[in-house]
Amino acid sequence: MIDLLSVTQGQTVLPVVLPLLAAFLLQPLGRVAKPLALLLGPATLAVSAYLLIQLWISFGDTPYMLAIGGYAPPLGIVFYVDQLALLFATAVPILVLLFWSRGEDDPDPIRRDAVMLLLAAAGTGLALSGDLFNIYVFYELTAVASFGLVTLRATGAAYIATVRYLLLSAFGSVLALVGIAIIYLETGTLNLAQIAQLAPTALAGPNGLAAFALLLIGFGVKAELFPVNTWVPEVYATAPTRISALLASLVSKLAVLVVVRLLVLAFDGTGAAQLMLLLGALAFVTAELAAWRARDLRRMLAYSSIGQLGLVFIGFSLSGTAGLLAGLALALHHLVIKAALFGLATRWGGSLERLVGAARSAPIASGLMVLFALSLIGVPPLPGFWAKLLVVMGLAEQSTTLSLSALALILIGTAVEANYLFRLVIKLYARGEADAPAPPRPKLLDLGIASAAGVLLLVATVGVGRVSGWLGGIASQAADREVYIRTVFPPKSAAVAAGSPVHEAS
Amino acid sequence: MNGFGIDHLSFEVVMYVGAYGLLGIGALGMVMSNNLFRMVLALVIAEAGVNLLLVLAGWRNEAVAPILGVHEAGTPMVDPIPQVLVLTAIVIGVGVQALAVATLLKVYRIYCTLDVRELRRHLEQDICRDAGIAPDGSWEAPTIERPLPPPIPVQASTADRSGAAS
Repeated sequence: MIDLLSVTQGQTVLPVVLPLLAAFLLQPLGRVAKPLALLLGPATLAVSAYLLIQLWISFGDTPYMLAIGGYAPPLGIVFYVDQLALLFATAVPILVLLFWSRGEDDPDPIRRDAVMLLLAAAGTGLALSGDLFNIYVFYELTAVASFGLVTLRATGAAYIATVRYLLLSAFGSVLALVGIAIIYLETGTLNLAQIAQLAPTALAGPNGLAAFALLLIGFGVKAELFPVNTWVPEVYATAPTRISALLASLVSKLAVLVVVRLLVLAFDGTGAAQLMLLLGALAFVTAELAAWRARDLRRMLAYSSIGQLGLVFIGFSLSGTAGLLAGLALALHHLVIKAALFGLATRWGGSLERLVGAARSAPIASGLMVLFALSLIGVPPLPGFWAKLLVVMGLAEQSTTLSLSALALILIGTAVEANYLFRLVIKLYARGEADAPAPPRPKLLDLGIASAAGVLLLVATVGVGRVSGWLGGIASQAADREVYIRTVFPPKSAAVAAGSPVHEAS
Repeated sequence: MNGFGIDHLSFEVVMYVGAYGLLGIGALGMVMSNNLFRMVLALVIAEAGVNLLLVLAGWRNEAVAPILGVHEAGTPMVDPIPQVLVLTAIVIGVGVQALAVATLLKVYRIYCTLDVRELRRHLEQDICRDAGIAPDGSWEAPTIERPLPPPIPVQASTADRSGAAS
């Protein structure tokens, strides 16, 4: 029984290794057998998704740790697997598979597939890794893969947007690396569990706060955080819409996940949380105002995505399990909804004026759009309402000047959000001019994804008690620093009881 | 230590000042230059700064290179982990910089400029044309909706007629 279990746990590395391997196999295979190469990517991702879902089903209550190559921590690199990590790791292959580009006019589909696989591998690694520098490497890999995907349309605008995105992202990485260097100077380790052990003494001072600020800004580039999010509207307007969907819903959440891990494990002082709260609130209100001004759907969604991620940061900045629950609920809510909305925007992108009367030619898609808009605003029975309520109540409970001003900003931002989303909905249901060309209908696949998201949303609405209980379990597990440390560095007696030492497990 | 203590201290200070100084120069260059290629160069300088900082994180006073079996046992060695990190960081940095320059070349071939302000204007125009909206601030597309006389069809039809007449 124990043998079987350990085999299954060892398979946790496969969703990272297999896509990476397949990505580099694709080019030679594409020379020999192109149809086979085109199938390899989706097949690999399907296997990864299957493995992760199996792990998810067989996952008990206790997190576990994998020492890569059998080298025990703190010298070796570890993967740390708890429910939170597994949740986001499972989301990676599934979402990449759903938004697998099937561009017919693409000149080099093999190269595109390889980059998509790199994104999947790096994203899964980002969710699972328990080593700070390993996280940095996976983050860079995700970044490079996303640069490649953004330029897929090969237009001039896409290249400009990519260069600006690349420079900002690379500079963010430099800042993150400075943060990592400071942490190493203070603690002498890069293992997250050991950093967590040493943090209360080593990282409590101003140096620790500076390190967190640098890491927050550095990883914040991908997470669309306030001062470093200028790339978002440009890239989402010029990249293929399916890629925008992936970046907005998935990649941003993975960067948030890294920041949250750092916050929980190493920086649980108030200074770090306040910084996150401040930047999140500024992001929310500025992005909602910008979205209000937008006149095309893609950029409206891009700004709205920045705003929602600001809200996610506010949620995670609240202390303890309640904060993690709020942030997690918002993050998952946004992951599902923004993926579906960008899916619908593949055909509906462009001027909002083109959408006048779309409800007549595409009633289901319009209905779904209304549902998503209502949930984003936070109209009571929908999940978005409960998620926002958690944040608002958490802020009210803290009742410091900062948290109350953030609360006011959230309410103002929500009013603005309601205004522009209703404007969109009114356009959809307006009576267009008789001779105007009918707005295009969304593709069946995008409609399917959006319908699935809608069903998910409605199910969560009906079973809100069970969903919040489930999320609460994940949040309380992730919020427990002791569990993380004990899992990576098991107490001596437990290690003996478990039988084999780590270095023999390979 | 034979009075080397002060020298080493000042050495360390100089190195730290150098590392943060390079970072500062890089950051200023990223923010203040208007040429994309200069921004890439600023990025390279900033990366050199952070690499120096990482090497310093493992530096020890009067220590030798961390190779076993060369020095006699008990000699203090520098910490090898930051050196490995720097190697990785350099490789990643080179890759990203190469990608930046390659994309930059594409941009230059299409727009014949690397000036950020001009490129931003091009970008805005392209996005708006793609989306089928007039660029921000032009009078036929104000940022908020307000009732306007219908100027465009009239102008279009006169243009058509004049075109047909000529």
